[in-house]
Amino acid sequence: MTPPTPVTVEPATEADLGWFVYAVVDGDSELPGGLRGLDDEPVRAVPCGRVAAIVSRFRLERPPGRAAELMAFHTVIDTLAESLDAVVPVQFGSVLLDEDSVVDDLLAPDETWFGELVDSLRGRVQVVVQALYDQDTVLREIVAEDPEIAHLRELTRDVPEDAARGERVRLGELVAAAVDHRRTADSGWLLDELLPLVEAHVLRPVSGLERVLDVALLVDADRRDVLEERLEALAEEVHGRMRLRLVGPTAPYDFAQGH
Amino acid sequence: MTVQSQRRSGGGYLERPAPSGLADVVEIILDKGIVIDAYVRVSLVGIEILTIDARIVIASVDTYLRFAEATNRLDLLEQGGGKPLDEFIGNMQESGAGRKVKGAVSGAKKAITSGDDDDDDDRRRSTKKSSSRRRSSA
Repeated sequence: MTPPTPVTVEPATEADLGWFVYAVVDGDSELPGGLRGLDDEPVRAVPCGRVAAIVSRFRLERPPGRAAELMAFHTVIDTLAESLDAVVPVQFGSVLLDEDSVVDDLLAPDETWFGELVDSLRGRVQVVVQALYDQDTVLREIVAEDPEIAHLRELTRDVPEDAARGERVRLGELVAAAVDHRRTADSGWLLDELLPLVEAHVLRPVSGLERVLDVALLVDADRRDVLEERLEALAEEVHGRMRLRLVGPTAPYDFAQGH
Repeated sequence: MTVQSQRRSGGGYLERPAPSGLADVVEIILDKGIVIDAYVRVSLVGIEILTIDARIVIASVDTYLRFAEATNRLDLLEQGGGKPLDEFIGNMQESGAGRKVKGAVSGAKKAITSGDDDDDDDRRRSTKKSSSRRRSSA
């Protein structure tokens, strides 16, 4: 972590301050010492029964959102996830007026639900797996397999861009459909390989010529090695046609859902 | 926890980017996490802007034209543009155009003597799939 930078702030009255909420954790969690969040404010836990909200003071009068705020948020979640068994991120930008509100409006009404959510994510991490086509390889496959595509390509490739527009659109349409078709098959196959190794998954939308699969996986921390070995083997297998990318582990952002 | 840039043992084919920049962080946290009811939250201009899903590209004529362009661009590559020199020469040899670069390769490849001048189709056919691996797409 970078050392905290001293920030000169005008004294703020209580009315100018709210609480920025980062995450929900176990009620008895011990936070790493010296953790600071947005505006370099100290981060603390507000407990309510079996759960607690992670918060820091936050000036309500402020310029529009800045990159530093996103990065600070992410750093807090990451640092917590390193030392706690379960961290359930709260959507970025959630601010409550005062500490009473954190307990009475946020935690207390749904303590059981929060508790179950924390339990369901305990000891688990999120990784994101992305598969990308080698665009030229896949386009070659497509041109080779579909005579109409090959024909349209011949028609359009050596004429000026504004000519043969209809044929161009038709060519692009066919190519897009062919890529989709391949994507369905390839992503289905990859998921069949990966899902037995994980507890849950969330698919993210993909489009374009390149992206095949973008999926968040919730994995038991002690099965991460197995998953990564499998991914490494798969990456080698598809090498040349697809690239596999692994992002994480991170806190289970994609699995902190509901409500 | 996110920062795991070191590779584990193995073939190294799996890419493991370490998310560090703003774009990476936005990708990770965008629209994610527990949603707190709006009537409980303080509404802040500017800090809740991250709700637009910028990743979805809606299929449109423009999209199709881009796809067509990518497919046609393939031809240029197959004709030699942007290829490593040895592949380029290889293609020309296979297609019978080897004599154009004879001076450069005569010592190494004396066997290339076929005089088939009808080379356009051959050239395209002779391009190997694997040759495109290193070119990353836009």
